[in-house]
Amino acid sequence: MGHAIARAARGLLNWRSLRWKIAALVAMASCAVALAVGVLVHQSTFERSMSLGRDRAFSELLVVVDTYRRTGSTSDEADPAQLPPALLQQARSTGQYRTWYDDRRPDTPWMWAVQQVGGQALAVRIDMGTEMRSLQALDRHIVMASLAVLAVVVPLAASAAELPNRRLRWVARTARRIAAGDLEARTMVGGRGGDEITEISATVDLMADSLRDRLLSEQRFTADVAHELRTPLMGLVIAAELLPESEATELVRGRVRVLRTLVEDLLEISGLDAGAERAERASVPLGRVVEESVGRTGLRVQLMVTGDPVADTDPRRLDRIIANLVANAHRHGRSPVEITVNGTAIAVRDHGPGFPDELLAHGPQRFRTGAAERGRGHGLGLTIALGQARVIGAGLAFANAPDGGAIATLHLRGDTGSKG
Amino acid sequence: MSVSDVGSTPVTVLLVEDDEVIRKTVGMALERYGYRVNTAGDGLTGLELFRERRHDVLLLDVMLPGLDGIGLCRKIRESSMDPILMMSARGDALDVVSGLEAGADDYVVKPVDTSVLVARIRSLLRRASFAPGPERTPEPVPGGASDLVFGDLAIDPQGLDVHRAGEPVALAPTELRLLLEFAANPGIVLDRQILLRNVWDYGWDGDSRVVDLCVQRLRKKIGPDRIETVRGFGYKLRR
Repeated sequence: MGHAIARAARGLLNWRSLRWKIAALVAMASCAVALAVGVLVHQSTFERSMSLGRDRAFSELLVVVDTYRRTGSTSDEADPAQLPPALLQQARSTGQYRTWYDDRRPDTPWMWAVQQVGGQALAVRIDMGTEMRSLQALDRHIVMASLAVLAVVVPLAASAAELPNRRLRWVARTARRIAAGDLEARTMVGGRGGDEITEISATVDLMADSLRDRLLSEQRFTADVAHELRTPLMGLVIAAELLPESEATELVRGRVRVLRTLVEDLLEISGLDAGAERAERASVPLGRVVEESVGRTGLRVQLMVTGDPVADTDPRRLDRIIANLVANAHRHGRSPVEITVNGTAIAVRDHGPGFPDELLAHGPQRFRTGAAERGRGHGLGLTIALGQARVIGAGLAFANAPDGGAIATLHLRGDTGSKG
Repeated sequence: MSVSDVGSTPVTVLLVEDDEVIRKTVGMALERYGYRVNTAGDGLTGLELFRERRHDVLLLDVMLPGLDGIGLCRKIRESSMDPILMMSARGDALDVVSGLEAGADDYVVKPVDTSVLVARIRSLLRRASFAPGPERTPEPVPGGASDLVFGDLAIDPQGLDVHRAGEPVALAPTELRLLLEFAANPGIVLDRQILLRNVWDYGWDGDSRVVDLCVQRLRKKIGPDRIETVRGFGYKLRR
């Protein structure tokens, strides 16, 4: 529950999320529309009040001209001297009336009308303040209405974007599960919608299908090979045991042992390669596990355990790793072989010529034992140890000691005390 | 060199295996250890042999023509609690799990040598020697004084009878041995490694799936809630 909330919060706070990109896009589009509409409305309203103002000024002017013609008196309300000389000049030269919008003082704009009547310039002016104020009020309303619409539309867009977002996140989660090894994970987003998300979901499912098929056929092949090899081998193993004791029998038994190890190693590697191996974790006391593991190899090893370390690991796979490292140390190195268990690090050390440079640089290679002085062997042991270490999520590092000898160090995950 | 596990009557092993060489060599090898071995080359012949004669241990290959080892194991479990050891050449999870689910007590992956095979057979026989034989004498009254009682479950540790709500429960030797291990430590969490060691005689390299699957089978017989799973640790018997 807490996790879900935390994840939701993280999703909301991720500014690079598609949700916010879509919301920003919608906000920008809304602003552009509001701006365009606002400018057009402002413009046409302004034009309209101008033309009304001009009409009113003209009617007033007609009255003034009429009065002047009849009585010869002029109104002192509007003094033509206040008008720009260019306008007066124009009116004088044409004899027609002229109007002029005077916004020299923005708070009290005027509409002037002027006409030259027999050497006398007659002018009137109309107060345009009311019109201008109502135009300003209109602008404010447009801005406020736009903001109100944005306040509704942006959250709406963000939450509408949540639906495709959620589908995309589901696809990503499924892909992660497949990558983590759950080959049965599918997005299961049906054909509904038919949009790009459905397409990518279907593609992920298809990819998982083909991945699983390939893995299954590889596993089936490995299992079949295992069966075909092990069945005659078992007959051979038991038959060799039944042979009467002799030098030749010992030779046969020796070769059977080699063949058996080789077959098991190859099957183990192909199992590891198929990627189907899963660790069965448990909390195990490392000292005891390593000690028993060494005991089963039947080889001489000096074991040093510091403290009472416990690790969360797969004891059977750990046994395979230890057995292979110890066998390798004996085959390619020289005694004494030492194992130090310190915390969750297990180091296997011999006193031979050390690992060859190629192994240190590129890791273990199958059927390659490197330098001749490293002795014979099929070179699968370290490959297996490395593969098993990967399965249990441990690190395996190869190094040479400064005073000679190879050191392979396995770093296990510590026991966290809780699982699941 | 033949070490016999045999007192007066020899231990009889039924070996069902389709590979002729394995059938012959394993038969000969076990006979050297003093076992009496009956062999069958396919599942149906194996089933017939099983019905005709009494055997102490059943050794079944998984892949058999006709009735396969899993099916044969299931058929045998319908009427008998004899110890069953499965032999698989594949050793993959599916083979192992389905064999154990069908009621096998243990499994080995081929190739095994005679010493391992004999060790596993002995371990099975030890467990089976706990189990009540058909000749066992009068049934003790369930819930008697010496019985261990856990809810509706009554275990008689001497007579090795288990009753659930008054009804007798038929347990395979491994299941009984596992239940006794739990009954000896009621309310205590037993991890898989301890159970592997005490019931199956395995060390740390044992396959803990045999424990999980045996617990599953036990739950089916004594009720699903009696044995609790303690996640990440193991199991415990509810008092």
